[in-house]
Amino acid sequence: MATVSFAGTTRYYAGNPVPAVDGLDLEVADGEFLVLVGPSGCGKSTTLRMLAGLEGVDGGTIHIGERDVTDLPPKERDIAMVFQNYALYPHMTVGENIGFHLKIAKMAKSERESRVREAAALLGLTDYLDRKPAKLSGGQRQRVAMGRAIVRSPQVFCMDEPLSNLDAKLRVQTRTQIASLQRRLGVTTIYVTHDQVEAMTMGDRVAVLKDGLLQQCDTPIGLFGKPANLFVAGFIGSPAMNLIVGTVSGESAEVDGSAIPLTPAQRAALTSEAVVVGVRPEGWEIKAPGDGIPATVEVVEELGSDQYLYCSTSTSRVSVDGGAPEPIAVRAPGMSPWQRGEKLGLVPVPGAVHLFDAATGARLPD
Amino acid sequence: MTSTVDERLGGPVRKPPRKPKPAPTARGFSPLRALGMAVVWLFTALNVLVLYWLVMAAFKSPIEIFTKPFALPSYWIERGQAFRNLAYAWNNAGFGRAFVITVVLVAVSSVAIVLLAAPAAYALTRLGVRGANGLTNFVAIGMGIPFQTVVIPLFIGMAELDLTNNLFGLFLIYVALSLPFTVFLLTGFFRSLPDELEEAAAIDGASPARTFFTIMLPLARGGLITALILNAIGLWNETLLSIVFLNENANFTLARALFAFNSAASYQSEYGGLVAGVAIVVLPMLVLYVLLARRIITGLTLGAGK
Amino acid sequence: MATVTAPAEGRTSSAGAHLSRKKRLFFPFFLPAVTLYVLFLLVPTVATVVLGFTSWSGAGDTPRFTGLDNYGELIASDAFRYSFLNTVLYIVAGGVGTFLLAFLFTMVLREMRGGKVVRAVLFFPNIVAPVALGMFFGIILVYRPNRQGLANYLLESVGIDAVKFLAPENITWVVTGCLIWASSGFYITILMAAVDRIPPYLYEDSDIAGATPWQKFRHVTLPLTWDVVGVAGVLWTISAIKIFELVFVLAGPGTYSPPIRSWTLGVYVFDRSFGDQGAPQYGMACAAAVVMILLVSVLVVLLRRLMRRDTIQY
Ligand SMILES: Nc1ncnc2c1ncn2[C@@H]1O[C@H](COP(=O)(O)OP(=O)(O)OP(=O)(O)O)[C@@H](O)[C@H]1O
Ligand SMILES: [Mg+2]
Repeated sequence: MATVSFAGTTRYYAGNPVPAVDGLDLEVADGEFLVLVGPSGCGKSTTLRMLAGLEGVDGGTIHIGERDVTDLPPKERDIAMVFQNYALYPHMTVGENIGFHLKIAKMAKSERESRVREAAALLGLTDYLDRKPAKLSGGQRQRVAMGRAIVRSPQVFCMDEPLSNLDAKLRVQTRTQIASLQRRLGVTTIYVTHDQVEAMTMGDRVAVLKDGLLQQCDTPIGLFGKPANLFVAGFIGSPAMNLIVGTVSGESAEVDGSAIPLTPAQRAALTSEAVVVGVRPEGWEIKAPGDGIPATVEVVEELGSDQYLYCSTSTSRVSVDGGAPEPIAVRAPGMSPWQRGEKLGLVPVPGAVHLFDAATGARLPD
Repeated sequence: MTSTVDERLGGPVRKPPRKPKPAPTARGFSPLRALGMAVVWLFTALNVLVLYWLVMAAFKSPIEIFTKPFALPSYWIERGQAFRNLAYAWNNAGFGRAFVITVVLVAVSSVAIVLLAAPAAYALTRLGVRGANGLTNFVAIGMGIPFQTVVIPLFIGMAELDLTNNLFGLFLIYVALSLPFTVFLLTGFFRSLPDELEEAAAIDGASPARTFFTIMLPLARGGLITALILNAIGLWNETLLSIVFLNENANFTLARALFAFNSAASYQSEYGGLVAGVAIVVLPMLVLYVLLARRIITGLTLGAGK
Repeated sequence: MATVTAPAEGRTSSAGAHLSRKKRLFFPFFLPAVTLYVLFLLVPTVATVVLGFTSWSGAGDTPRFTGLDNYGELIASDAFRYSFLNTVLYIVAGGVGTFLLAFLFTMVLREMRGGKVVRAVLFFPNIVAPVALGMFFGIILVYRPNRQGLANYLLESVGIDAVKFLAPENITWVVTGCLIWASSGFYITILMAAVDRIPPYLYEDSDIAGATPWQKFRHVTLPLTWDVVGVAGVLWTISAIKIFELVFVLAGPGTYSPPIRSWTLGVYVFDRSFGDQGAPQYGMACAAAVVMILLVSVLVVLLRRLMRRDTIQY
């Protein structure tokens, strides 16, 4: 097994002066499951394809273990890749598909067959070995693609949105299967997705990318509990964190009449008078009107176990993706008696407040 | 206030590389790829060279053609008669008259072919008639019949009707023999058109014939133009039938004139005129090709690719 | 207001009426084309088959039924034997050469920049009249000490002895070469159009597997373009069977037929019917034309058999 490290890795595409991946520094530990997540076009696939050797590297290096693989052709990197659309060969049977890489590597037929059989058994594909991919369901195809990767016993797995062609229910099932398979095999894995739930549930660590720049790489808990900047704060968590603009006055930040205290370190780190206060939906305490930020319930979303209230306020808010600001989301216990149009007051629970510099987007020290 | 977060603040502006690095896959050496590369470039260079040779030779004297194949023409240019070869072919070898005849014959025939083939292709694909597939195959078989196998009975029949050595007779034959390919090509185009417009027209009460002329024909315009061009190219180059059916200089098409000129020119060592004749036949196609390469290539390969 | 169902019913019945009106259009649209097709292609083909059993020297003579005599005579004649064998040679050797070249190109052109331009250049000979090609090659390949054609000029300039390309013993191979040169562009284009439809990720996966260009061709390109290769093979066969102008012009003096060693079936039919020497032998020519049809049918059926395979579904 091996570690993977990117150092200043940069990739340009022809005709675009802005790099698709820009000076990526990332260390992946041996046996780790690292998820790359970010919005569409942020450079996740490009990163993965550079690691696989399908894309050139314009700056920086990539190491697998001790080896500098920056300029090695894919086959010498000892990696396996699962493509989004699985890249199964339509004219080969499942068995031939799984064994294709071994055949190219000139492995003896008997050994090849036993390894294919083993991989098929592991993935529950034994009954389908003689079928062509066109006659398989989406989930089965996905498993064939997985089989083709694990049969090589490579040092690194690269997976590019391997679940995005499955329906929601199957995706949840397969998600756990892949995660447990990876833990069992202990192969270092880089997994690309744009689905933050997938990222949070599967990864040992999650790296968030935006516009080719690494925003933060941390454990799911770290990302959720201490987002490094506004982008990560808004991207991770569902419903998203409420990001409210406040102004610094004296020793605290002022939001619609309520004051949130700032430590001296926080005040020192600020570059302007504007601060962004982030509170997750579960970080609110619901009070009577007049207490805290005045709000009006617009929509009630009853999930049974929980209830989400979407409230309008007179605060100004930050929208991470540039769209219109959404109403403030508040989590209430399930089956609460809230009605549309009701007025209430919102107070952030102490310790649940995230503070960011509005000008730079960076998190203020805690 | 709504602000978008953007971390890309300031910093030194880095220059992107002029050419992104290719993937490492493309860099490994493979003898087969090297061979392929060499052959591709050799082949391409040869084609370009040959075309250069042809165009240059059309302005050269026979001695220059054979002793200085790559030099620029000089003999006739020094004598102030740069276009002497072309003029010779055009006036003395009858290419001028043949050119006019060919342009008219090719244009009229191509239009007639498309006018006949388009309704037939429409009938075979869009009218929901049972057995249409079988009939399409029946027509397509015609593409596999070599002209040599029909030329004798055709000649006898046309002679009966006094239509040999007659441009109208050749026109009829050109039209009829080009139909299988054209119908087959156009069925592909008509089949690819969407149903909705036709249905909408039917609901609006347009008659089927009207639907065909006002909706389907304009929609298939691309296909019709392609068919027109491909037929024009084919007929421009057609030789066998023109040799069999035309035997008087006054009626010659270009390919026929070139065929007749070949032996005369070799006897008189009139290679300059001969190359000029070849150029007169080839260059209009080259111009057409440069203008319409994409359309011609996709059209000609369409039937095969499907 | 009428009931809700009324307009719907009205529409279905009018759609039915529309369909039958549409069907009435079939004959006016289809008949003109098919009439010409039958009159000018099918009837003459049948006539050729019938005339193949007769002896007839054209105007002033009446056809006499002679049964299979023409075919016996064909088999006994050197001219026909050369014609037949040369035709088969052009189809097979020219076909193998053209397709090998096309396959080699598909391996390279897929990932080559400027590939589109290269394809357009290679395709060009296909829209040049075969007579013009023949004459052009005739001038390029001519052997005449001190005034060599381009090919021998190049050979001599690198110190190789000039070759009598157009001598009867060489002409078949020279024509095969010219044929490959002129037609490979077409087949390269057809095959490349099919190769371009193969999803790029399959090649990426074989890159990861470490496949060589040959392995990619063998395991990915060829199986996934098999259908198109089959169709292209059929197209090749039906176009190669009629080779005539190129040989006629390249191998001979131009106005009358070249030496029989270079003949093809197309030349044979022409020589026996419209050639300038002696009385026409329409019966023999028709018999040879029937051989052409039989040959093309057998080859096409054989090819389809050979290439048959399950269709690929993605
Ligand atoms: N072959 C290419 N040529 C030019 N630009 C490209 C190419 N491939 C990707 N890009 C650009 O590079 C950027 C990053 O693309 P990439 O495919 O890595 O995004 P991604 O994060 O995988 O997005 P998605 O979630 O939509 O798959 C995008 O802006 C894209 O437009
Ligand atoms: Mg992607």
